[in-house]
Parts: sequence; C-alpha cells; structure tokens
Amino acid sequence: MLVRNSFFDYTLLRPDEQKFVGIGQYERIFTDPGAASTFGTTLLFALGVLVLVVPLGFLVAVFLNGRFPGRSIVRTIVFLPVVTSVAVTSTMWLFMLTKNGGLVNSLITGLGLPPMAFLTSIPWALISIIVMTAWQQIGFVAVLFLTGLQSVPDDVVEAARVDGASRVRVVTAIILPLMSRTTLFVVITMTVFSLQAFAPAFLMTSGGPQDSTSLVVYAIYNAAFKLQDPGFASALAVAVMLIALVLSGIQSLFLRTKWSY
Amino acid sequence: MRRVHPARVLVTLLVVAVVVVAFLLPYVWILSSSFKDQGSIFSDVSPLSWKTFWPTGGSLDNYVSTIENKNVGRALLNSVIIAVAQVAGTLVLGSLAAFGLTRIRFRGSRLLFGLILVTFLVPMEALVVPLYAWMGDLHLRNSLAAVFLPWLASPFALFMLRQAFEEIPAELDEAAYLDGAGPFRVFWSVILPSVRSTVVGCGLVVFLFSWNSFLWPLVVNSSSDREVIQVAVAQSAAPGQLPNWGETFAGAMIATLPLILLFIFAQRHIVQGLASSGLK
Repeated sequence: MLVRNSFFDYTLLRPDEQKFVGIGQYERIFTDPGAASTFGTTLLFALGVLVLVVPLGFLVAVFLNGRFPGRSIVRTIVFLPVVTSVAVTSTMWLFMLTKNGGLVNSLITGLGLPPMAFLTSIPWALISIIVMTAWQQIGFVAVLFLTGLQSVPDDVVEAARVDGASRVRVVTAIILPLMSRTTLFVVITMTVFSLQAFAPAFLMTSGGPQDSTSLVVYAIYNAAFKLQDPGFASALAVAVMLIALVLSGIQSLFLRTKWSY
Repeated sequence: MRRVHPARVLVTLLVVAVVVVAFLLPYVWILSSSFKDQGSIFSDVSPLSWKTFWPTGGSLDNYVSTIENKNVGRALLNSVIIAVAQVAGTLVLGSLAAFGLTRIRFRGSRLLFGLILVTFLVPMEALVVPLYAWMGDLHLRNSLAAVFLPWLASPFALFMLRQAFEEIPAELDEAAYLDGAGPFRVFWSVILPSVRSTVVGCGLVVFLFSWNSFLWPLVVNSSSDREVIQVAVAQSAAPGQLPNWGETFAGAMIATLPLILLFIFAQRHIVQGLASSGLK
C-alpha cells in the first residue's frame, strides 16, 4: 500500500513540479516549432499505423476465425512479433531495410530496381517505422478482433445465409456493424500505443532525416537526456499524458453505452 | 460432408504463404545469419536464394563473442534477475491490494480503486523524466532495483487480480472465518488457490513487459554492468557504429528465444492477459 500510495502521490505531484518551473514550458508547446513538428510527426505516425493495422488485423482475424489445417501455427506466427521486444524488432528491421546488404533491398535489386535508402530519406524513413510498427502489432490487433468476431452470434449469421446473403454481404452488413465497439477499442488502443512509441525512432532513424521521424517520446528523451532541457521534456510528457487520458476517456464513454442490436 | 471448394483451398494456401513470408521470414533470416560470419551474410543475402535463409556456415562464433565481448552474458543475467524480482514483487503487492480492495470494507475503497485505474491510463513513457529525478534522490540510479521498483505497484496486475478476487463468493471466506481462520489465512489458503490461473497469467504478462522493456532501463542505468539484454542488443547496432551483423543477430536471438519458448508453451495465458491489458 505504501508503495502504491507513493507512486500515486507522485503522479499527482507532477503538476506541482511543473508549476515550479513555470508555465513558460507549456507556452513553448504551442509556440516552439520543434514541439509542433514532433506532435505532427506523431500524429502522422499514428494515422499511418492505424491505416495499416486496422484493415489488415481485421482480415487476419476473419481468416483465423475460419477452419483450416495449421490454423494454430499461423496464429502463433502472426503473434510472434507481439512477444518480441520492440528493441529487437527495430534492430531486425534496421538490418532488413539497410541500403547495402539489407534483405528488402536485396529483393528490390533482385527485381532489377535500384536500391532504396529507406531509413535516410523523406518520407521513406517515416513510412519505414510505420510499417515496422504495424507489422509488430497486426497479431495483437487480430487477436482483439478475433475475440470480437467470436462474440458475433452464429444464428444471426446463419439466418442471413439462409436468406441468401452472400459471404461478402454477411461481413459488410452484419459482422462489421457488430464489430464497431471492438474497432473503436482497437483504434484508441493503437493510437495510445503509437503515442508511446520510442524505440523505432531511437534505433532505426535517430529521429531523422531532418527530424522527420522525431516521435514525441523520442523528443522527450532527447530534450531530457541529451539536450539537458528537462523542463521542456516534462511539459511534452504532460501533454502526452493528457492526450492519453482524453483518448481513454472517450473510449470508456463510448464503451459504457449499451448498444442493442 | 461439406464440399471443399478448390478456389477456397487456393486462397487459404495463398494467405498462409503470405503470412509465413511476412512474419516468419525475418526471424529465419536473423537466425540463420547469426551462425554466419560477416562476409557470408553479405554474399548470401544478394542475390536472394535458399542460402539467404539457411545457416551455411554453422558456427557458434557469434554467440560466443557476443556473450564475451558485447556484455550480453552479463545483461542476460541482469534481465533474469530484474524480471523475476518484478514478477514476484508485483504479484505480492497486487494480490494483497486486491484482497484489501475486495474483502475489507473501508471508506473510499471505490474512490481509491478509481484513482488507481486512472494511473493505469498514464503512459509509462510520460513518467520517465520525473522518475529519473526520483531515482537520483533515492541514490538508486545504476542499480538493478531501479529498473523494476517503479513498476511493482502495477495497476494492470491489480485490475486483473481484483476481477478474479471479486468472482470468488464471499460465503467461502465467511465459512473459513467461522472455522477460526484469520484474514491472512483466508487470503493464503482460500482465495489464492482459487485464482491460481489468473495469478499465472498475470505473472507471465508482467514477465513479458519486464523482459521487453527498453526506454526506462536505457535511461536509468548507464553503466554497462547494469545493462539489460534489450539495451545491450540495441547498443551493438546503434546508428553511427559499424556493426558486426552476426554478433548483433546472435544477441537479438538470445534476447528473443526465451520469450518465444515461453509463448509457445503458455500461449493461451499470454494472449488472454495481453488482450485484457490493452497493451501497456
């Protein structure tokens, strides 16, 4: 209990700590071009991850919901990156995307195309860390969707099939609307997750080129531990905390409403 | 018998092939390359062939040298100590707190739980700067304890355990109290045995988080003999250095294999636990 309370007070203490520094740091969040650009970059990153992870995760879930031999092995394989640390997946992708000797560029040159500088050019660096993050999280999203899919009542689907609905129509007219809660949950969880991303920017791109992959947690790390500007870092951190709390608030607001079908 | 449409078989095969290539091949490349020397890694990767994904050389040199020279052996031990301490501490604190919140009626227990839940929503990354200062005040920087202490009071574990505790009927403990058991005995011999699978699932997920954490250990410990495995592996490939590919791959495999094995054996627990954590 003592530890819990101390942790707790601590979190509550943070605003006081900030006041001591003055509200100047907060003004900087809105006026400093670096701060605006890091939040812009993080927003782009989050959108990119969502665009990939939601449809692909859903497709994988629909696929895994069917019956075919080797299903459990496929599920394990898709989930492997989720249990691998982001430090290792970032390192792995760093080597896969390297210009000389990287696996992906070896494929590209094999097809007769010139090699790409994925991690050192705009906008490819940002796209690369988006793809890496989506790759890592698809398995997790698929499991969330799978849980949702399994709660769709079988008799509703069967009734629709008996009435002559096609397979595609069952998905678009019945399953998708029933999955809207799960989808909201996935979207918010992945947005908060993207907000917290650090290792891809730190290990794969060092925030570059020209800060184009400087995600907000990487900017916090840099400000606090490299540029010796912990006040600004704390202001950024408080902003991150507030965004996460607001997103989670929206989520619980929507998930609490009972939707009847 | 339902007729299996040949087109369906084809689509299934195609999807399985795409999934295997996209998700498994990177691991196969890293694993097979970890047994090769630098020259063979480069000559095998381009042009692509079966050799790219097969350990043609088959020597353990990279593993030996990464453990000896790149500090991976020491870091592996640190990670094990930290993860075990974190799992044990979290489970003790979490289950006692869950017992208090579900079994002892006191003013404001609901409010307290609500406040704790709010801390669940605070991203750990936002706390790194003040926690770092705090660890400095406590003279704990560059210690193994600094890596796990701040996370022992885990709202996630409390949340998961509290839910399991609530499902145990109160009549069960009342019967034990009538038989003369004290609260601690009820906790230990009545409640804990009935929530064993939740405790195991919770412990596995905490282990996973602890083992895979990167930012906090990177920040709080700068001395190399306090490094954790994830940081050690990542440092060996840090941008700006000319990395030894084979050694880095061997380190990545050492950092990943224990978890993959754990995952294969306890898949159900881990997937359920992670899904309920909403991924922290």
